[in-house]
Amino acid sequence: MAKKFKCNVCGYIHEGDAAPAKCPVCGVPASEFTEVKSEKKGFLSDTNSNAYIVVYSTVMVIVVATLLALASLSLHDRQYNNQLNEKKQAILTSLSASDKNYDEFISAQVLDAEGKAIEGVKDAEIFELLSKLPDAFEAGKFPVFKAQDGRVVIPVTGTGLWGPVWGYVALESDMNTIAGIVLDHQGETPGLGAEIATPKVQATFVGKKIFDNGQFVSVKMMKGGATNPEHEVDAITGGTKTSDGVNNMLSNSLRNYLPMLQAKAEVAVEQNAELSNEENVKDNE
Amino acid sequence: MFSAKNLKYLTGPFSANNPVIVQILGICSALAVTVKLEPAIVMALSVMVVTAFSNVVMSLLRNGVPSRIRIIVQLVVIAALVILVDQVLKAFAYDVSKQLSVYVGLIITNCIVMGRVEAFALGNKPWPAFLDGIGNGLGYGLILVIVAFFRELLGSGTLFGLRVIPESWYIANGGFYSNCGLMLFPPMALIIVGCIIWIHRSRNKDLQEK
Repeated sequence: MAKKFKCNVCGYIHEGDAAPAKCPVCGVPASEFTEVKSEKKGFLSDTNSNAYIVVYSTVMVIVVATLLALASLSLHDRQYNNQLNEKKQAILTSLSASDKNYDEFISAQVLDAEGKAIEGVKDAEIFELLSKLPDAFEAGKFPVFKAQDGRVVIPVTGTGLWGPVWGYVALESDMNTIAGIVLDHQGETPGLGAEIATPKVQATFVGKKIFDNGQFVSVKMMKGGATNPEHEVDAITGGTKTSDGVNNMLSNSLRNYLPMLQAKAEVAVEQNAELSNEENVKDNE
Repeated sequence: MFSAKNLKYLTGPFSANNPVIVQILGICSALAVTVKLEPAIVMALSVMVVTAFSNVVMSLLRNGVPSRIRIIVQLVVIAALVILVDQVLKAFAYDVSKQLSVYVGLIITNCIVMGRVEAFALGNKPWPAFLDGIGNGLGYGLILVIVAFFRELLGSGTLFGLRVIPESWYIANGGFYSNCGLMLFPPMALIIVGCIIWIHRSRNKDLQEK
């Protein structure tokens, strides 16, 4: 095949074994000619051909998908353990008992709609329920965590402004006073709604009561500041929607546990009554 | 390795070529995460890491990428990188990953990452591309920290969550001071960024549009 030479000045293309002595168009000498390398006509030589693009994107997608699938599979166990640990830690934190051993201090149960414990549910299954708490509530399964000292921890779930919010409410043994609360969220606005995850906001819930003279009223975050010190706390400035979400979450989730709470509260009252009877007897003596 | 030209890639984005106030990239995330200093710094660091590494990867691939689908390729590389890092953090540094979870989406869609890949990495060797990524990440972080400093100080009276303005100054406690609630909202970040651009342009006459 004859070589091709191109004139640098006018772009004339000469075909032959060597450059012409003089350009027939503009007359410049042979030194102004450069050889045009014949293009490789391979299948994938042109990076903008359709074939190349299809092959490139197919390979890219397969490589990336494999990489992500491998990472997800190989790291799954570690991630699962981390999540499990976080849930156990959150339950202990809500009881202000972070230093205690979860397995010794807490026993987990699943209740049905009447507040009766469902027998024979393994701990792993209970944590599985926690991961899909809205579905569990729907199905009439209500996980509850009982501490040795008579307090209980109730998981709660709801929706904030941008996504799910969830948490754990620890109740004193009177089943009325909040002993502690842990709230978390997926994507509330940092610095505004996301403040619900800070200890400072959560501390304001401690000591509030969810019953008013036996009526369930829950605890509300009030925009503009709390007026009723028994059942209200301050809402978050700039996080009104998130605060509303927390209110709905607490009210809706705690409502599921009313049968259990009322049954337990009666027991606690009776015990208190017995105690005061004994005191009375003592006083009389 | 650190020739004058390479150093320029690194330090240029601090002022003369700042991604936020000169290139006007990454404004949306600058509004979202600057209410407090801490998330601003976390976001800046993650953007720096992601920009640097996506720059390197795209610079290595630059000769093979079909120019007609280069934006899609960039998006796949950046998204894969961020998800991979997120997965690894979830397994080995769970606390850090919890901090970052909000930002994962913001990082993938951060225009700085894609802007630098498109404007720089596709036409340069990996090492300068890496420096460019680090430099732009730092330049972005600088603006974020300045904005977050003012927003946290004037909006919440704290810095890094620590109280700076004494409680006793507040009207509620019988004082004279009250936080500026507007500072907590995104529009105020835009105004602060605008003020920074104003001051910056008035000191760098060559950046002023005629």
